[in-house]
Formats: sequence, C-alpha cells, structure tokens
Amino acid sequence: MTIEFSRVSKQFGEVEALDDVSLTIDDGEFVTLIGPSGCGKTTMLRIAAGLEEPSAGSVAVNGGTPRNACREHQIGVAFQRPALLASRTALRNVGMTLEITGRDGALSPGDLLTDFGLGEFHHHYPHQLSGGMQQRVNIAAALVHDPAILLLDEPFGALDELTRESMGEWLGGVLSRSSKTVIFVTHSVEEATILSDRVVVLSARPGRISEVIEIGLPRPRSRAFRTNDNFLREVARVRSSLYRAVELSN
Amino acid sequence: MNERLAYIIMIVSAPIIWVLTIRITEAPSFLLPPPNMVADIMLSEHQDLLFHTRITLVTALSGYVVANIIAISLSVSFLYLPWLEALAVPWTVVIKNVPFVTIATIMIIILGDTPMPKIIIVVLVTFFPILANVTKGLKSADSVMLDRMQTLDSSQWEIFTKIRWPSALPYYIAAHEIAFTGSIIGAVVAEWLFAREGLGALIVRGMSQYRADRVWAVTILASALAVGAYLLVKAVEKYLFRWQVEDLT
Repeated sequence: MTIEFSRVSKQFGEVEALDDVSLTIDDGEFVTLIGPSGCGKTTMLRIAAGLEEPSAGSVAVNGGTPRNACREHQIGVAFQRPALLASRTALRNVGMTLEITGRDGALSPGDLLTDFGLGEFHHHYPHQLSGGMQQRVNIAAALVHDPAILLLDEPFGALDELTRESMGEWLGGVLSRSSKTVIFVTHSVEEATILSDRVVVLSARPGRISEVIEIGLPRPRSRAFRTNDNFLREVARVRSSLYRAVELSN
Repeated sequence: MNERLAYIIMIVSAPIIWVLTIRITEAPSFLLPPPNMVADIMLSEHQDLLFHTRITLVTALSGYVVANIIAISLSVSFLYLPWLEALAVPWTVVIKNVPFVTIATIMIIILGDTPMPKIIIVVLVTFFPILANVTKGLKSADSVMLDRMQTLDSSQWEIFTKIRWPSALPYYIAAHEIAFTGSIIGAVVAEWLFAREGLGALIVRGMSQYRADRVWAVTILASALAVGAYLLVKAVEKYLFRWQVEDLT
C-alpha cells in the first residue's frame, strides 16, 4: 500500500508543526523520518495513522483516507512507550489486537512471540519483561493482524545502546520477510541508515522536508555491516544532511 | 515482621493493655468493665447482638450498593459528557462538605424513622471516594493504548471494557478500602442518631441504662465488622492483582 502526503500543513494553536509537506511512500518501502525536535515527524506519522487531521492538504493511504485504512485493519502502530496492559500477559496483550480486528488473515500471537524470541515469555506480565522484550511484545501486537502498513514512532528510543542495536537488527530481519510499507521515526542516524530504503530529513519551526536521501545499500544488512565502509559513508551522508536541517531550523 | 504476626500481637496485647489500665486507674467496673465481663455479655446476649448486627449490616450494604451504582454511573457519564462533570463539581463540593449529621436530621424530619434516611447517610459517607477514584481511574487509561485502539477502529464499548475499565479497577478497589468500612461506620452513626434498632441504637440504649459493658460489647462488635470489611477488600485486591506479585521465574 502507498501513503501519499499532499501539501500537508498542521498547526497546533500558534505552533506550525508541519508546513506544506509532500511525500509519496511506495508500496513495501521502508521510509524513516529524522530531524531535530519539533520538526513534526511524529505529527506526520500520527496523521498517516488517522490520529490527527491535517490543517491543510491531505493524506491518502492506498487512495483512501487514513481512517478508512484503519477500518480495513491495514494499519499497525507502535510508539516509544509500549501500549501494553499491565494486567495481561504478553500473549493476551498481543491477542487483544485480534479481539478488536477478528482473526481473519491474522497471524498466530503465540507463533509470532516465539518467532520474536519470546518463546519462554508467553505468560509473563509486562512488568516481568525487560524494556527490549516489552517493545517486542508491543511490535507483535502492532503486527499480529498482518496490516499492510506499519507506523513506528521511536520504538527503541527508551532502550540502551546495545539493546537498541540488536533490536534494530531484529526489526530489519522481521520486516525483510514481509512486504510491509513502513514509516519509522527515530533520532538515531545509524538506525535510520541500516533500516531504510529512504531517509526523509526534516527541519523544524515550521516542520518541512529538508532532504530525501536514498540509501543505496544491499540487503540484508547484518550487524557486521555496521563497520562496513559503505555503511559508514551512508551514515556520514545522512548525518551531514541532518546537520544542514538543524542549521535551517535556527 | 510480617503483617499477620503484627495482627496477632495486637489482638493479644489489646486485652492486656485494657486490664492494666483498669488496675492502674482502679476504675470501677461500671465505668471501665474488664474484658471477661464484656465477653460474658457477648455470650449471654449473643442473640440480641446478632439481631442488631444483621440490621446494621443490611443498612450498610444497601446504602453501599446504592452508592456504588450512583457513583459508577456518574463517573462513566463524566467520561463521555465533560460538561456534566463541570456542572456537577459545585454540587459535589457542597454536598460533600455539609456535615452529614445535619443532613441526617433533616432526613428524619422528612422521612421519619424508616430505613431510607439511614441508607441516605451511608450513601453520603461512601459515595464520594468511589466517585472521585473511579472518575480518575477511567481517565488514567494510557494514551498510547487509546491511540492503538483508535487505529484498530475499535468501538467505544471495546475501548471501555478492554482499556478504560481495567485501568480504573485499581482505583475502584482503593476506594472500597475507604468506603466499605465507611458504610458500616455510617450505618452505626445513623442508628446512633435516631434509630430504635441496630448496633448504633444499642449504644444509645446501653448508655441510657449506664451499662458500660453493653456499650463495650457493641463497640467491639462494630469495630470487628468494620475491620472485617477492610480486610475483605484487601483480600479481594490481593486476588485480583495477584499477577503483580508474581516475580520472574
């Protein structure tokens, strides 16, 4: 499924979160939004999810409105804070999604958790799991109804550096086996580079697209790839673009 | 030290303190009756005591059920109708802060010695902790959870039953800790004010007959009921949230 932002603006009171943003995300593409605080990357993601309405312009998900894509159960979301109920086990938290969407065409919550390396933790409650494990359960809950679109807002933002790297690697592996369209919001240049087909760099106040960078790296991209010269060159390219966007923001 | 041991120590030491107080002050038994005298009353008059206990319990529980129904209905209405909450705030502030003894007196003038004014007093004592806690609990639902539910196109009913109510449950149980005990105290006070039956009425009768032993027996019984109510809520809480104490194995 494609996601198309057409001249989208969004104001929150006096604050201009997004100003005239246009971007087309192709079917099966992994696009990362990166930029300084206040650049509107989370707002873009929330508009694509139908959680916010644009003040001007429009967003089309596969030709229809985001709300319509929600009704068709084509959207999965995961944020930095895991959306898990403390009183439900990992398995029942993932199952909650299916209680809403029904089981048609869905994955098995148990198989999914096992596939995510949580085979022994099906019956653990969120408070008994580490931050990284909670986030895997959270992403499983976002994926279990097999939506065509996955919207991820800094899912690894609260994790320590090493966990974060392995989670990024894990997510890349999980998604390489599917053909989902993904919007990913992050602060980490390395994470953006290793996961994305394209990185969209935004500048702040007002939020605008500063540059769009194609990541010309072969897949799969494993952890060893992180020390590869080509990878480091791409990281440097994204980072200098990010610095230019920060300049623009001030 | 564990909690159970602390309770046992209290139950054992309370009569000892009681007896020591009598010895030291040399209080006569019509002022400060010794434990054995009170125990005698509780045994010999147990039928009478149980009859009045039952009446107090019926009043307390009826009022409590009414309070729960009203408070939960209002909390849920507040969630979906914010203007109603805004409208209700001054009313709740006034009703909560008018001394309930005076309201009780007015109720008796209007309704006489019927169960109704007693139930109203119990409702007045127990209603606000439930209203405040459940209102807060329903609003405490995690925003990321609500966002996900919206992207799954879930109905308001599903959001309420799967997210809002489970989020409010710990707050609701915490309200019971205060309010369930309060319902028994409220019922006793209501009876003490004007009724002819119930534990509260027995206190008045014992007092007018200078029967300190009876007053003490009723006091112990009423306290046991209130403490029992509290411990019952604690037990339910422990059962409902048993998953919280299960550690990683």
